[in-house]
Amino acid sequence: MSIAEANNHGGRPIGPAAPLPAGVAHSNAQAPASAVAGRSAFQPGRSASAPTPAGAGRKRRSVHREGLEAGKRSTRTILWILLAASLILYGFPFVYLLFTSFKTPIDTIAVPPTILPKEWTLQNYANALGRSGVPASFINSIQTAVISTLLSLVLSVPAAYGITRYKTRSGRIFIMAALVTRMVPPVAIGIPLASMMASVGLADTPIALSIAHTTISLPLSIWLMSSFFEAVPKDLEEAATVDGCSRLGALWRVVIPVVSGGIAVTAIFAFLASWNEFLFALLMTAIRSQTTPVVIANFQTQFGLDWGSMTALAAVYSIPVILLTLLLQRKIVAGMTLGAVKG
Amino acid sequence: MRIPDRRFALYLMTPAALFLAVFVAYPLFRLISDSFFKISPLVGGPREFVGFDNYVRAFTSPDFISAGWRTFAYTLTVVSLEFALGLGMALLFTTLGRKSQVWRTLFLYPLMIAPIVAGLLWKFLMIDNFGLLGTLLHQAGILQDPNQIGWLSNPDIVLFSVAVPDIWLTTSFMCLVLFAGLQNIPGDLIEAARLDGARAPSLLFRIILPLLRPVIAVALVVRGIDAARAFDTILIQTNGGPQSASETMSLLVYRTMIRFGDPGLASAMGTIYLLAMLAIAFVAVTTIWRPGKDT
Repeated sequence: MSIAEANNHGGRPIGPAAPLPAGVAHSNAQAPASAVAGRSAFQPGRSASAPTPAGAGRKRRSVHREGLEAGKRSTRTILWILLAASLILYGFPFVYLLFTSFKTPIDTIAVPPTILPKEWTLQNYANALGRSGVPASFINSIQTAVISTLLSLVLSVPAAYGITRYKTRSGRIFIMAALVTRMVPPVAIGIPLASMMASVGLADTPIALSIAHTTISLPLSIWLMSSFFEAVPKDLEEAATVDGCSRLGALWRVVIPVVSGGIAVTAIFAFLASWNEFLFALLMTAIRSQTTPVVIANFQTQFGLDWGSMTALAAVYSIPVILLTLLLQRKIVAGMTLGAVKG
Repeated sequence: MRIPDRRFALYLMTPAALFLAVFVAYPLFRLISDSFFKISPLVGGPREFVGFDNYVRAFTSPDFISAGWRTFAYTLTVVSLEFALGLGMALLFTTLGRKSQVWRTLFLYPLMIAPIVAGLLWKFLMIDNFGLLGTLLHQAGILQDPNQIGWLSNPDIVLFSVAVPDIWLTTSFMCLVLFAGLQNIPGDLIEAARLDGARAPSLLFRIILPLLRPVIAVALVVRGIDAARAFDTILIQTNGGPQSASETMSLLVYRTMIRFGDPGLASAMGTIYLLAMLAIAFVAVTTIWRPGKDT
């Protein structure tokens, strides 16, 4: 059984706030989960099929349990405690990073270390953001990620549509080939890619880096968009073509609006993949187009061990993305569900 | 005039295919052709064709062989721990049902963090002297001395330590995939097994895990490929040290290319590394994961 088949069985959506498998950010091939989340969100019907009567547990010792859901109240309590403990453990490292960023620079390397700052200060933030090259690196990161996202969408949307709608032999070969490119270690193509860019005069530019980042996000985007297009009923565009729409017209006016939620999800993945990427950025940028991850890494060597500034910069770089993704999550999933219902 | 559907589909795919050909396939071709040359690290320096000499050097280099084993051990550590933790969390979320939804979302936050930041953060937690981890274990009475475990300075355990950020970052992913898989197991099946008197362990090993097999396979393959390519987290934590004890294949190729200035040898190493990955991926993709096919 393939993952595609597993997905077709859908199952309950992971929730209205279906979690985004944004791990792609780490240049990882994490398509299956995305497809799982994406696909299941197109099947809102089953989401209501698990009514766990919350009040029933008070009267009876055991509530009606659906499948794997734990029934006994005592068991549930223990499980909740277990969950709380794991979430605290799992969340702690980042919280400690935040606390550290508010310590005084001396306190960050105090022996023994303390969890909370003795004295709360913004000094690390001032130091980190005031350093030359840091504000510019943010602009570079944004530029690179935006260009890469657009490039990835412009290329992947038609390709994925061609693959899923027409199911030709070439389409099957192409999606396999695109997946194979995901196995390529970036370190293997980084140097040749950098020298190619240099030979066309694009060395050390956001354009060159965003092209490199697109090599990471494009195969994933094609895969994601394919699974979104797969969920669009064929009748939809057939009706449109009967009404006199050209195939491109049907794609643009009928299909694209239905999958707009999927496009948003794909865009977020492509953006995160570029935003968090480090190796290509290290190999392909010098002063002019350096992105923030490279600057963060350089703190280690260039400025001795300034842990305070490093934690501050890391926090400033990570928090907007975490918040943005968590916020957009609901909208994206709602958009997808609506699109499917209307379609 | 209307072009045939097949050609129309081809036109739609062409831009993406061209992009991948120019920016992935061509650099790969360059990598492979470089691997047959002895190349001066200077730009525009001399190139001398040496046949398979670089490959012989790679396979006879102890660094290369041990980096291969380290990559393997690293991948195995990351994937197995992630799987165990991810499955645990997925089961926990499933047994708690819909009310755990908010927490499920929060559980995903490390997926948005850059690996470089994660590596940095864990280095800060595990570093000797002012690292918090040793201090906390010391205060809890587990360690006699906060520096007893040299997380990042002891060559015997450093490979495990550098795997921690990777595990921390992507256990969420494993959990997410397995959770989605668990939702597809019919509730009746579990009910029936429970009525037959199946207890939790046999429920897990006899019913849940066999039913999850396809999902597990995909999750392990995807994460395995990523872990085998790990670079950022290791570079920022140890730069491959101490004594190359955490130097995995990506780092070795990088260092051979950049630091030791031997692009020919690095290309040969990169080619072997790539072929090994492709071979594994090919087997995995053809046997378990067949995208784009209606099965």
